[in-house]
Amino acid sequence: MYSKTKAGFLFCLLVTFSLSGCLSEEVLDSIESTDPCGGDIQIRESDGTLKILTYDIAGFSDELIAQFVNETGVSVEFIRTDDAGGILDQMMLTKSSPLADLMIGLDNTYLPTAIQNCLLMENNVSDESFTQSSLEFYQGPLALPFDEGDVCLNYDEDALDAANMSVPTSLWNLTEPEWNGKMTFPSPMTSSPGRAFLAATVDYFGHSPGNESGDVDAWWNAIAQNGAIFTSGWTESYVTYYTGGYGEYMEGHIGGAYLTVSYCHSPGVEAYFAENYTHSTSLVLPRASFHQVEYTGIINGAAEVDAANQFIQFITSLEVNTNMPDYNSMYSIQKGTDLPETNGYRFHADQAIVSTAITQELIEQNMDGWLSSWQSAVQS
Amino acid sequence: MARAAIEPTMKTFFFQGEKTLRGLAIFLFAIGSTLPFAYALLRLEFVTGWSAWQALSEFRNIYGAMDALRFTLLEAVASSLLTVLIGLPIAWCLSRYQWKRIRVLRALLAVPFVTPAIVAAMGFLSLIRQDGMLDTIGIDLRLETGIIGWFADVSGWQNPGHFLALIIAHAWFNLSLMIRFVEPTLSSLDPAWEEQLSMLPGGKSRFSRLKYLWIPVVGPAVLCAAALSFLFSFTSFALVKWLTPTSQTLESLMAGAGSSAGIEGYRLDSSELIYSVAILQFLILLMTLWITSLLQKRYSQRLSLLSEHGVRRHHGVPSGTARLIVGFGVVFTMLPFISVLQSSLQVRQISNGSIEHKWTLDGWRNAWDGDLSTMGVGEAMSNSIIYAICTLLIALPLGWILASTIFKLDTSGWVKTSKLLDLLCMLPLAVSALMVGLGVLLGGLRWYPEMFGWFLLPVYPHVLLTVPFVVRVMLPAYHSLDPVYSEQCRMLNLSPIQSWYHGTLMFLRGPAVVAGSLTLAFSLGEFGASWLLVRSGTWDTLSIVVDQLMSRPNFNPLIHPTAMAAATMLMLLTFFLFILAERFRAHDDRSGF
Repeated sequence: MYSKTKAGFLFCLLVTFSLSGCLSEEVLDSIESTDPCGGDIQIRESDGTLKILTYDIAGFSDELIAQFVNETGVSVEFIRTDDAGGILDQMMLTKSSPLADLMIGLDNTYLPTAIQNCLLMENNVSDESFTQSSLEFYQGPLALPFDEGDVCLNYDEDALDAANMSVPTSLWNLTEPEWNGKMTFPSPMTSSPGRAFLAATVDYFGHSPGNESGDVDAWWNAIAQNGAIFTSGWTESYVTYYTGGYGEYMEGHIGGAYLTVSYCHSPGVEAYFAENYTHSTSLVLPRASFHQVEYTGIINGAAEVDAANQFIQFITSLEVNTNMPDYNSMYSIQKGTDLPETNGYRFHADQAIVSTAITQELIEQNMDGWLSSWQSAVQS
Repeated sequence: MARAAIEPTMKTFFFQGEKTLRGLAIFLFAIGSTLPFAYALLRLEFVTGWSAWQALSEFRNIYGAMDALRFTLLEAVASSLLTVLIGLPIAWCLSRYQWKRIRVLRALLAVPFVTPAIVAAMGFLSLIRQDGMLDTIGIDLRLETGIIGWFADVSGWQNPGHFLALIIAHAWFNLSLMIRFVEPTLSSLDPAWEEQLSMLPGGKSRFSRLKYLWIPVVGPAVLCAAALSFLFSFTSFALVKWLTPTSQTLESLMAGAGSSAGIEGYRLDSSELIYSVAILQFLILLMTLWITSLLQKRYSQRLSLLSEHGVRRHHGVPSGTARLIVGFGVVFTMLPFISVLQSSLQVRQISNGSIEHKWTLDGWRNAWDGDLSTMGVGEAMSNSIIYAICTLLIALPLGWILASTIFKLDTSGWVKTSKLLDLLCMLPLAVSALMVGLGVLLGGLRWYPEMFGWFLLPVYPHVLLTVPFVVRVMLPAYHSLDPVYSEQCRMLNLSPIQSWYHGTLMFLRGPAVVAGSLTLAFSLGEFGASWLLVRSGTWDTLSIVVDQLMSRPNFNPLIHPTAMAAATMLMLLTFFLFILAERFRAHDDRSGF
């Protein structure tokens, strides 16, 4: 009886693993190519619906989508990931047989990887009316900007006053004992603003005028030694630890960090939703900010190419895009637009001092190395 | 004459059909439950170039893995201990006295177990918020002032508030396990044992009675419940994600890397992490299940000592202390639900830097209309219900057939095979929901990508994750089935279908409704596998909508009440199903769920 039991169990295992073995051989055949642009891309089968891969952009309300559907007659479906990194993951995973036609939300720290891996195809929408700052990083047929903003350090004015601390004038100030345990950073490994700020520090320590007296890894190491709190995402840093943001009114707030990474206009967004009240402000140091541009592009292998072009046209049009500060808490990419004055949105949003030193090529060639050095620096 | 000729053929046909059906059920379940996991492992092996052994040995070098393992073990052990600490007195009091409306009390204390994890997370977040219920009585788990601050200072433990919130939430979640396991043992224990022991020299003191009576009698049931609490706390995902956002468990560590794993030449660190962590987690969970099964065996040998009714009558009406303890249990289980409802009706308003909460229905309006770009609650709810019904239609018959096969093997002398099949049915509980989702995702994408256009895809992991519960409910029901009825049906010369209908089905209706309702509730609340899979489709469920809203920057004060309104809808749906299940639960049901 015992041998029958064993035989039955072994049979199940053998069937299962042999089947999975068959599948894995198919897998190996299909992905053996080491060329990032190699391998067949299967065109998605058309089902008359424009499928959009995006993160949870708050602005794509039913009303807005209904407007597009009414104007074009194209039906729309969203596939939502957590963030920009999730969009790239999904595109890489489904590269040979894409599930969506259009992506919205890859930023300029992720776009080079998407281009390098041939994940995007050309669109035919004009960028003539776009701001110069939105086109500086990439101006080509594969992706179009749809919003922009500057990632920079934010600090809690009230907390600094109460602790009698001075506002940093150099990133090196943050390695001083008075900042011990009082700052939080989203990890560049898992967070898009974290990645953008890592790029900013590469710029800050690598170019003049910045701080020439040290290298970027030494600074990150000193920051880690000075009790910096590293979190997996922006939310954990801004909501859980940062004392200057809306997190102080939310569940799960711990506080304790007077400085974090967010956008230079985040204090403006705070004020906009809190009747012109905020005690958060941004730290504008030369080259310590990164100009983030978020892109939209047609996915290579898309079925609904015309509809995708129409949607790009729609969301980058002056009429719709001018509402980006409302829709997505970011700047519009249309010339002549600005943040609304309502409730101090514009007033509390600072202008960053950014440079154009971090280029598409630089990110394409070095991002993996920067991430790996960052990991070693904060761990050692 | 003709009838006599046909009957043996029909019987032979049904006998063979039954065997084929059982074989098919076992084959489908074995393939369905092991294939995604095996496929995910093979894929990760290919991408990383590591063998399984190498992946395990590299665990120490994975970024964040050792911290996550330490935290997972710590929170799972602490959660199990707290479950025993809170649950045992409640189970003890509930089992010893004649309570009015005991079924209602049981239902209220058991409802957390079937509550979707995301609702539980929102409930506890609401409880610890500023001006929330705990804050108003001086327990500040959020900013750690007052008594919690004092505890932090004295113990030197930084930020204990969030950890405490997590283990309390786990204890809340697993409370019903303790009641379901301990109450039947105690409520059927012959009071004469206790009385006789008190007369003996070895039973004079409380300690000796504890040593010679209570630990041997209740110990295995307590350990069994604690082991299952450990298992569920170990694989907890939604609660960890929301209550301890700065700490990672093995499950949440894998979730963070899940979407970028298994892709050749891209984010190798993610594949290495998933491969290494998944294998270690699988081994730990398999060991826990094995220990649970050993404990369950000991526990089941000590049951049914006397009729429950007689024992309760002997102990009489509950004492004041017992009322206080059970009352505390009921309040403890209800608080997070009330808190979620309250939060769905309040929106924060900042005026000159001070916060006020305004009562409003705006959150409900937004949730219903999907104004914040998420799917509206109505549509998400219909998705959730469709998935739950489809899961029910597959998981219930599948689990039923598997349970009856285990029972038949056991009663036919194939004891070891029966145990093996029982273990196989529990296997999906040893594989995390995220790994099941990842296996389906990776396997499906490479093998049959069109599958991802299929609306019903999330039903697959839901079936895998609910079948073990169906088996656990149906199996004890089969054991309590009196074979006399089936024999009488055969003696009356009824057809196989008629015999089954009158001799089995009529007696298993109650457990089947319980299993069905639990399947619906678990499917509605399933989060881990859906969380990974919906990223490939547009099939948001209510759980996912709540998570999406909460994950978004909450600058806009309306986002929070909207998420809470969606969580309340999910909670009400689950309540309805659970009440339905409890209505059909047999009075002496000891299924453990």
